[in-house]
Amino acid sequence: MTAITATSSTISLAEQKERRRAMIYGLFFLGVAAAIFFLFVLNTNAELVSTFKLNPATKQKIVEIPPLKLPSRTTLIILGLLVAALGVYQMVRRFERVNLALGVVLLFFVAAFLVWATRGKSISLLGIFTFTVAAATPIGFAALSGVMCERSGVINIAIEGQMLAGAMLAVVGSSLTGNKYIGLAAAMLVGGVLGLVLAVLAIRFLVDQIIAGVAINIFSIGITSFISQRYLQPIPELNSGGVLPKIAIPGLSQIPLIGPVFFNQNMVVYLLFASVILIHFMLWYTRWGLRTRAVGEHPRAADTLGINVFKVRYINVIIGGMVAGVGGSYFTIGSVGRFDELLTAGKGFIGLAAMIFGRWTPLGAYAASLIFGFSDALQAKLQVLGQAQVPIPSEFLLITPYVVTMIVLAGVVGRTIPPAADGQPYVKE
Amino acid sequence: MKQRIFIILTLLLFGAMVLAACGGGQAEPTEAPAPTKAPEPTQAPEPTQAPEPTKAPEPTKAPEEKKFSVGMVSDIGGIDDKSFNQTAWKGVQDAIEKLGIDGTFLESQQQTDYEKNINEFLAQGKDLIITVGFLLSDATTKAAEANPDAHFAIVDFPSTAPNVQGMLFNVTEATFLAGYLAAGMSETGVVCTYGGINIPPVVDFMVGFQNGVEYYNEQKGADVQLLGWDNETQDGLFTGNFESTDDGRRFAENLFDEGCDVILPVAGPVGLGSAAAAQERGLMIIGVDTDQYVSAPEFADAWLTSVLKNMDVAVFDTIKSAMEGNFKGGDNYIGTLANNGVGLAPFHEFEDKVPDDLKAELEQIKQDIIDGKIQVK
Repeated sequence: MTAITATSSTISLAEQKERRRAMIYGLFFLGVAAAIFFLFVLNTNAELVSTFKLNPATKQKIVEIPPLKLPSRTTLIILGLLVAALGVYQMVRRFERVNLALGVVLLFFVAAFLVWATRGKSISLLGIFTFTVAAATPIGFAALSGVMCERSGVINIAIEGQMLAGAMLAVVGSSLTGNKYIGLAAAMLVGGVLGLVLAVLAIRFLVDQIIAGVAINIFSIGITSFISQRYLQPIPELNSGGVLPKIAIPGLSQIPLIGPVFFNQNMVVYLLFASVILIHFMLWYTRWGLRTRAVGEHPRAADTLGINVFKVRYINVIIGGMVAGVGGSYFTIGSVGRFDELLTAGKGFIGLAAMIFGRWTPLGAYAASLIFGFSDALQAKLQVLGQAQVPIPSEFLLITPYVVTMIVLAGVVGRTIPPAADGQPYVKE
Repeated sequence: MKQRIFIILTLLLFGAMVLAACGGGQAEPTEAPAPTKAPEPTQAPEPTQAPEPTKAPEPTKAPEEKKFSVGMVSDIGGIDDKSFNQTAWKGVQDAIEKLGIDGTFLESQQQTDYEKNINEFLAQGKDLIITVGFLLSDATTKAAEANPDAHFAIVDFPSTAPNVQGMLFNVTEATFLAGYLAAGMSETGVVCTYGGINIPPVVDFMVGFQNGVEYYNEQKGADVQLLGWDNETQDGLFTGNFESTDDGRRFAENLFDEGCDVILPVAGPVGLGSAAAAQERGLMIIGVDTDQYVSAPEFADAWLTSVLKNMDVAVFDTIKSAMEGNFKGGDNYIGTLANNGVGLAPFHEFEDKVPDDLKAELEQIKQDIIDGKIQVK
């Protein structure tokens, strides 16, 4: 008896481990299903209806679609059963891509949460999505900037500083010339210059990249606060850049739900969409992209094949800085039209988390930014619904985006593999 | 090679620190009076906003005599927040102009600066240190207890020590009017508010606002809804900061999507983001603390009115009585509708759009509050 177990356990040790892992996932899914039942279904009266508005509140011509009216309890029961089914399937058959299943389960949970929070009330679902895209824009730029730099092997921790400088230059440039697009160009330029500083320090002088980045951040915070107090405050003409107009893309902006969310935005947001697609294409389908990735993975090998490692890194870090600079312009001419000190409020660092979550790919990084944006939008909506609907103090709701950052980085993503030469200076032999 | 790295890095770091220090501290670093030079009459090249000391309308004062000196510590949000820091600073500026005092300010960039800035003014031996804002209460109390001879005045907080004068404002009276006005002006029947942080001076605005809306519903048999605050649970919508203007924009859009057409943002400069959003959609924003139509004219057509908290009056009065030797330590100044410490700003661009009946009703309510016929709060 004992001999048999011993042999079978030695044979399938790895298999057993795998099985246990699968079971844990399955149990977790069932736990989520139970949570939906006990927290939500039992606290919802049968006759209540959750209403989700899908039309923008602005007076623009679009195809009106009726609001989504869901019977709260029935919807919750269905969502709970779906999650339970996924859990049972996971325990019996095992999903091949368990992370995907986990994502679906979490999505259902969030949906259930929303349906429960909206019981007997109505909220604008479209509003959540537009909020998400807006909140994800600066994070997305920061993440893209990180992808550009780190793919070539240079860590850019100075994104926050580059964005701050970009935000200021955008409003000053726009105020001085009266042309917001010149402001946009100025933001791009100053981001590029700070990128160049980082590149020179990191590539030429082999300064530790983290330290160089932190120095640029401190420098940027100092100089923007100084200029703001010394010049922008006494001279309001320097600090009234106006806001970029929203441009509705004909046709596309008429699509219900998707149109108002993605295709009725200002230039900064469109630039982000374009950059995500462009950088994705460039990284994976062009010679430049191949070289960039080679330099980021194994600079010595790239060098022996005749690639100029320094040149590739310089170009990438400068472009990365420019991307961050444009991201900074979102805060001023993309949103409010004026600069206030420290208005980036740490978005550059959340962008770095989004980059890691997105596994150093442009599409992944933007998807991750949307998740952060969504968590921000969700907490704002829940606060509006009020304590009677969601008995969680506003202080706790406010930390949601940060909790999501931690959960995502520690739990869902787990181990990610950065470019092999990330953060390592290259010295020619 | 290696040396050059060090030189460059050192220069960069040094430059960064110098600039960070400038940015974080005095607004006018070159003009800030160094403590050693302070007693000299030739000194005091005051901030550009202040008149030349020689023009000070105090001809009886001998030039050698040390001027009454006031130091103001601002809260986070900056001295130009077009809101409460700026209003308090205006009180000091008025005192500089009319009383010929010597006034400077230090900006707090973060909460850890409060104590630092207060200590800086203590070291400079200011005759009166004014701290602006509820969040500075701990730092002020601590400093006051440690320095019983120094005089302090704090805005938005009651006196906590015999050498601290409190300045309080019954803003609920003014926001009561604002709530009534908002309810009367709303076409959609939904009005909103949101705050920076859930602290009493912020919440006071929201409480009064809700009372005003409810009073309107009571009087008119209407059903105007309020989103973003609930007196029952004492909780509502908060941005969690007083800096991110982009939050202000997104929060406003969020509320507009729920059908709001009037918003009262109680979050300092964050409200400017909401004003930008309101302007774009042609909706209404109610300013706070100061007449924001005047302080932020770029959003002129969005300000329905502003809830005035006349801190400049309070600060000026405090400085005046302290200068005359009547410092009211341990006591509180309380601003009300009656003594014009709080109030509603003019409607400006909305002057023609606010119906005359509504204006008359507001006047009546104001009088009733002053007479105590309507109990606010």
